[in-house]
Amino acid sequence: MKSSTAHKVLGLLFGAGFGFVLAAANLHEYDTIHKMLRLEEIDVFLLMGGAIGTSLPLLWWLERRRANTALGGPLRLSQSKPRREHVVGGALFGIGWAVSGTCPAPALVMLVSGAGLAVVTVIGLFIGLNLRDAQVRRNDGSATAADGEHREVIASR
Amino acid sequence: MLSTTFAAVLPDRLPWYFAGPALGLLVVGFFMVANQPLGATGAYVETYKTVTRKPEAVTWRMFYFLGIPIGGLVGVLLKEDGIVRRSGYDALRNEMSLGTTALVVLVGAVVMGYGARMAGGCTSGHGICGTAQRSPASWVATCTFMGAAVVTTLVIRVISGGAI
Repeated sequence: MKSSTAHKVLGLLFGAGFGFVLAAANLHEYDTIHKMLRLEEIDVFLLMGGAIGTSLPLLWWLERRRANTALGGPLRLSQSKPRREHVVGGALFGIGWAVSGTCPAPALVMLVSGAGLAVVTVIGLFIGLNLRDAQVRRNDGSATAADGEHREVIASR
Repeated sequence: MLSTTFAAVLPDRLPWYFAGPALGLLVVGFFMVANQPLGATGAYVETYKTVTRKPEAVTWRMFYFLGIPIGGLVGVLLKEDGIVRRSGYDALRNEMSLGTTALVVLVGAVVMGYGARMAGGCTSGHGICGTAQRSPASWVATCTFMGAAVVTTLVIRVISGGAI
């Protein structure tokens, strides 16, 4: 599926903005995540709360106003019902997150910040994602509904 | 320690009350331009598909994927410490050999990747973009991985006798 140049440029810019904030808030450091998960520091929980507390009401208001997006038509939020995969996958993700002390986006920032072992983390992530994809293909099933991931309908525009 | 910095204009750590809303505004901003959430797991998946030339690959996600380390590098270079050559896992390295640490990190990352793909998202996809859309599935996934991560960290702490 080919993406427009606008999507590519905007993807790069928003990715850079995201990476910049992760680096600025030190979220790419094992110690930051570890202190949060040891419940010794509340900052990262507050950061996530601040992100949700800003975006949730704004998106809700924009949805009610039937806002139009610049490139993707009318704003459309997706709300899936919880399934077993969300719980089992979420639990596995949480276990791996605790062990490796970073999650997919901060791992990329960790890598460029000079952390040598982040290479292992990023490679491991690709392996894990592909293992699941291969399993889904074998079972001829479909991937789990993902409200935070790319949506096909709009991409085909 | 080898360290490279450009200009120390950023604080050591941007406080949560700036960083949190900034992330939230990025999420809203991307919805308002592209009507798409900003999940990192999908970016990995589509990057892999783009590189391996799968016809169904959503190529703009690879640009998003590349943007994260580029922006991260800018952020790191604007801090006093800058780029610091290190393992990134010093807390583990103090307790284990390099080989064991690498193996532990690899297994953790594989489990994390598998779980993220199974759940359909990670900390950014479900944790911020999904919860912000008021998706019940995302709230369930987020609460589950938060709980699992806190419990796992506690288990590691007990096993390691408080060292990790």
